Parts: sequence; C-alpha cells; structure tokens
Amino acid sequence: MGIMQPSAFEQILITTKVEKVMNWSRATSVWPVTFGLACCAIEMMAAGASRFDFDRFGAGIFRATPRQADLMIIAGTVTYKMAPTIKILYDQMPEPKWVIAMGSCATAGGPFDSYHTVQGVDKVIPVDVFIPGCPPRPESLIYGFMKLQDKIMTSSLADRYKDIFEEVG
Amino acid sequence: MADETLPQPPETPEAPAGPYVYDYAASPQRQIVLPKTVPLPSLKTYQAEVKAAAAADEAKWAKQLADFEVAKAKAEAEGKDAPKPPVRAVPRKDDNDLKTPWPQEPKDADLLHLQEVLGSKVEEIFEQAGELTCQVSKDAILEVLQLCRQDAKLNYEMLADQSATHYPAAKEFAFSVVYHLTSISRRKRLRLRILVPEGFIPESACAVYPSANWMEREIYDMLGIRFANHPDMTRILCPEDWEGYPLRKDYPVVGWGQRDISFREDRGGRLELIAMQKAGQLGINLKQPKAE
Repeated sequence: MGIMQPSAFEQILITTKVEKVMNWSRATSVWPVTFGLACCAIEMMAAGASRFDFDRFGAGIFRATPRQADLMIIAGTVTYKMAPTIKILYDQMPEPKWVIAMGSCATAGGPFDSYHTVQGVDKVIPVDVFIPGCPPRPESLIYGFMKLQDKIMTSSLADRYKDIFEEVG
Repeated sequence: MADETLPQPPETPEAPAGPYVYDYAASPQRQIVLPKTVPLPSLKTYQAEVKAAAAADEAKWAKQLADFEVAKAKAEAEGKDAPKPPVRAVPRKDDNDLKTPWPQEPKDADLLHLQEVLGSKVEEIFEQAGELTCQVSKDAILEVLQLCRQDAKLNYEMLADQSATHYPAAKEFAFSVVYHLTSISRRKRLRLRILVPEGFIPESACAVYPSANWMEREIYDMLGIRFANHPDMTRILCPEDWEGYPLRKDYPVVGWGQRDISFREDRGGRLELIAMQKAGQLGINLKQPKAE
C-alpha cells in the first residue's frame, strides 16, 4: 500500500550513534554543585524545590562535592576573595563539566562596579550559559538550563577535545 | 578664612608603584574628589559656628546702619527726602518647622559622672537628639572603656558596635574611632569617640570587650588603623594580599588595579605549588615522569 511496515528488527531496536546516546544521558542527568554566593542562590533553591522542580530535567540532585558534579551554577556576586576558591572548585570537577552564570552579578558584575567584585565570572572560569536578571526567576534558570541541555545534545567529543587534538597535531 | 586654616588635600592619591596602577586619565569620571569639610558632630564646633553667625549678623547690621547714615547725609546735602531707616531682620520663628537636633550641653547623669571621674581626659561631651556622646583623649581610651564597663553607676556591659571615620581634610585628626556601648541592665546607650591622626596606634578594646576583636580587624582592613595589643591584627574581609584600605576617602572605587588580575591563568604557579604541597603531604607523586 506504499506504507513501509517496520521490520521485526526495528520494532525491538533503535539505531543511533554512541555520541548521541552519551549526550542524551549527560543532558538528562546534569548534577549541579551545591554552591550559592548571594541572593540568586535563593532563586536557585526555589528552582530546586517542589514548585518548579528541577528534578524534572534530571538536575535536581545538588551534590555536596564538586568531584561528583557536572554543572556549576554561579549564583551570586563573585568577589575577589571568592574567585580563587571558585577556580579551585571548578578544577576539582571531573570532565565533562559545564558552568551557568546566573544573574547580572555573575555575568557582568551587576550593580557592583567596584573594587571587590569580579566583573563577570568568565574572568575566572569558562561559562557556557549566561542568564540575565537580578535575580532571575526560577523560570529563567530553567530556560537557561534547557539551553544548556541543547548545547550538550549538540556537542561532540571531537569539539570538546578539539584544542587538545590541535595541540597534539 | 576657614578654607585657609584647613589643609588642602592632594589632588590625586598616591597609588602604589607596580604593574596594577589605575589609569585616571583614561576615565576622568573616576577622578577622586576629596571632601573639604569635617562633618563630625561636635558641641565646640557648633558653638563656634553660632558665635560666628551672630558676629556676622551684627557686622551686617552695623554696615546697614553706616550705609544709612551715609545715604542720609547725602540726601540732606542734596536737599532730597531722607531715605527710610533700615529694619533689622528678625529670624523667622515657626513652631511647625522641623527642628534640627543641635548638640546640647550634657545634662544626663552618665555624662556628668563621666566628666567628674575623668576630668581632663574628656575632650568633649555633649548630648544630641537624646544620644550621649563623649570624646576622650586617644591615649586614655582603654581606661575609659574599663570605667564604663566596671563602674556601678555606668555599667555598660556590651560593645554594640565599633567603627571609624575618615575625613582627610583634618590632618591632625584624620580618623576617628567610635565605640557604641550598650547597657542592657540600665537600658542606655553611650557613644565614645577618639580622634586619631594618621599612623597613630590606639589601644585595642579586646581586653575589656572581647567582641571588639573582629570589629577592630574590620577597621584595620577598611581604614588602616592598627590597634595595639590585639590578638590577631590581620585583614578580615579583603584577601590577605590586598593593597590599600578601601573605605579611605582617597581610595578609588575600582581599586588599585585589583580588577586587572587574571584568574584564568595560574597566578605565578601558585595553584600548582599548593597542589604539589598537598600531594606531598598525602604521599602522592604528581610530577610528570621524565623520559630518560
């Protein structure tokens, strides 16, 4: 009749790339570090609580150690005293790892154009998603997180280790 | 007259020599404008101001009278009508006006007791808006604090706050350290104040009020006033290697180049050094094996 009937093989199997499966598993189980710096952390907690329920996206498990985490949500003002600590925590996270800069303070210093505030956490560690707002609502955080999931889904191992490959030649 | 007596502050602050020096020419809106007044509440200053205002008023009235005499003589000589005599302006009195709480002579029993016991160590003592203020000699502050805590008539058990101010226009007393004492049993509050010049090291209050520990560290961190006999005179808010004292009036709001620090690169291999030390303590060899 023109309609292709799936074979018996296709009814029990899904064919895909290994990379895609890896990305899917990573994007749907991103574990953030329990790490808040200022008032944005309150919104982050609200996003993790039952009303907004970060667990729907597989990101509700806030790990208490960076060694078991994939994502670092920089929620709040980054001071120069805190910056080396953030760097140490980031270095302790295992690859692959991602960073969300949440709120205007973490993205660009916010209202604190001052001596003690780092003007954007991207001066300390590489950032994947910037979320504007002061503080951003939990919806904004969820939207930013979904953008990160898109990024993870479209990423490939070759991209991630491109720099290393280029160095090695 | 007043401007001549006040020492003129420098136009730009002395920035430390080094790789991180803030470029004022690049952003002129960041230029520091130092205040030329010393708005410390003070009974003596207020009384001097009142006296000066009265003298100025009297001089103005005398000038008006003299002008009138001259004009009258001129009019008589020319054969015209005499001008109107001047009327002295009466200050407007309105009971509905908001009254600024000016410093008053001390009437409170605590202040009178302090004045009686301390004698010449009291530099200034006044009440303002129901708040008690006593400025004492900067060398006697520990003794005064001990008295306030232990005297049965005063009995101030708590050091509620300790802070400091910086007014660079007054060079001989550029800083003031303020002690806010609270008596819980008597439900009273007292403010002690000392004026200190740049470089003076006042005695720490930790011996009398242990809660002064962190507050004095904060004063040192923010304004650079060191305290003698303090158990741990280190920075409390800024990082340990910070340059300058941020709450001084001559400190630029963007700092002395601290914002130029790059954390993306390992500063001088410090992180690597720390990692090596930690690994050494744990007995791990982190060093790359070298090819023979």
